[in-house]
Amino acid sequence: MFVQFVEGPLWYFSATVFVIGVAVRLLFALRMGTATPLSKPRGSASQGAIRAVFSRFVPRREFRPRMRLEVIAGYAFHLGLFALLFFAAPHIEFYKDYIFGFAWPAMPRWAFIVVSEIAFAGLLVLWLRRMLHPVSRKLSDAGDHIGSILVFMVMLTGCLALDQSHESLRVLHFFLAELLLIYFPFSSLMHTFTFVFSRGYLGASFARHGVKA
Amino acid sequence: MMASLKITRHIVRQYGILLLPVLLLFTSASMAAVSEQTGGSAVPNPGTDLWRAVREGPTPNVGTSQVQSVGSTTLIAESGEKWRTLRRQYMIPWGGWLLAGMLGLIVVFHLVRKAPERFDESSEQWIQRFPGYDRILHWFMAGTFIFLALTGLVLLLGRFLLLPVFGPEAFGAIASACKEGHNLFGPLFMLALVLFLLRFASRNWFTRGDLSWFARGGGMFSGKHPSAGFFNAGEKLLFWSLAFAGAVLCVSGLILLFPQFGQSRELMQTLMLLHALAALGIVAFTFGHIYLATIGVPGSLNAMNTGRVDADWARAHHDRWHRECEEQGLIEKQQS
Repeated sequence: MFVQFVEGPLWYFSATVFVIGVAVRLLFALRMGTATPLSKPRGSASQGAIRAVFSRFVPRREFRPRMRLEVIAGYAFHLGLFALLFFAAPHIEFYKDYIFGFAWPAMPRWAFIVVSEIAFAGLLVLWLRRMLHPVSRKLSDAGDHIGSILVFMVMLTGCLALDQSHESLRVLHFFLAELLLIYFPFSSLMHTFTFVFSRGYLGASFARHGVKA
Repeated sequence: MMASLKITRHIVRQYGILLLPVLLLFTSASMAAVSEQTGGSAVPNPGTDLWRAVREGPTPNVGTSQVQSVGSTTLIAESGEKWRTLRRQYMIPWGGWLLAGMLGLIVVFHLVRKAPERFDESSEQWIQRFPGYDRILHWFMAGTFIFLALTGLVLLLGRFLLLPVFGPEAFGAIASACKEGHNLFGPLFMLALVLFLLRFASRNWFTRGDLSWFARGGGMFSGKHPSAGFFNAGEKLLFWSLAFAGAVLCVSGLILLFPQFGQSRELMQTLMLLHALAALGIVAFTFGHIYLATIGVPGSLNAMNTGRVDADWARAHHDRWHRECEEQGLIEKQQS
């Protein structure tokens, strides 16, 4: 009963909430637009936007020594999660059956294990830093912690179901992933998509005003 | 929010020790279950005579096989039965008693000791004890350790403790999940352990003063704190126990995790026992560490949560380190 519910109605509901929720939030962000600039432009806004989107992938030199751990953990987690999401064999099978109708090459099992370890290490370090750094702790709200815990639980149940010998473990993973999809558009996890817009907006604004940052 | 935090702290301080007898009962129940279940089945196996003849036949009972792996030509590995008996009849019950005994000791100790000294948390002076990196490293290792301990105990005791409660199907899923999780988090613990040892080894070498710390039992019964530096002798003992047991756990764990390198069955069996023994030992030790870091020595947990400690706490528990900080002007005033 629960299996049918998770694989049927709940899946369609969570996927719908995710797609519509993300689309609506992006649409609202774009419709906010920018204030009409009155001053004479001192640089190309579009070039500034593109430069900011890419240059922010590396921290500024002044901050590098004190941000080393966060940067390494951040890349470990995000790249690891991306690889797990799109190149793990069970996920590709899922995308083929439920969404796209076609498959692509998957990473081998040993690579899956290595990538999982890297992603877990990154996520744990990032979450610990959020909890232990006095400023990060104060800046974080319940939503941030719920997001971290949900992502962790989805990753954990996915790895626990790796043996693929028990249907219950796979369903538990699927169920938690659906909860994450529902929660996603209403949370700070939206930075997955909005980081491009926020960086671009800031970069364009700076470039237009002649700020080199 | 602050009020609820205070109430929670109060409950943990006042009643946290009550959790220990519950855990004690839980562990004891597992051992009772082990003793009950080691009797074996009463249904006679019609193939018993045949297989006994094979096992007791000309030694070694080896044949030929197209499978090219270690032990593939052995029809009955007799060492497996010895290993099974050793594990089921000795290691699991004794391991359970070890953990229960440790919990019992902590309860008794908590009841007979003098009430621990408390320090005003809103004191005006404090000292930075652990920077952010040290705290992240500690909690990273603690988190992976607790996960490994729980999943490992399920794999060790689950058959006797959880199977009767959850039934074969649910327990099968739990055990499979624990095995995968244990294998996955093992290398993370290994990484954390290596970084942790590298980071803290220089502060944990034993010195002459540590002998008198041991001789006075760390001041636990007298209430007078023996002299100590940044780490006291008890903390150093925990550190080196963790280093030794951790090395055994990591090496044996790696050999067990990658069986494709031609390890013999006997080596794997021995390492499995060694792995479990080292784990039980360090888990028992960790019970003491958790007790002392929380309700046993009030104020200690602040060092790993906020990174700083009350200056009076430092003077009482780590007087030599406090003196060094004083000389170097590292004692800071609380900002209002």
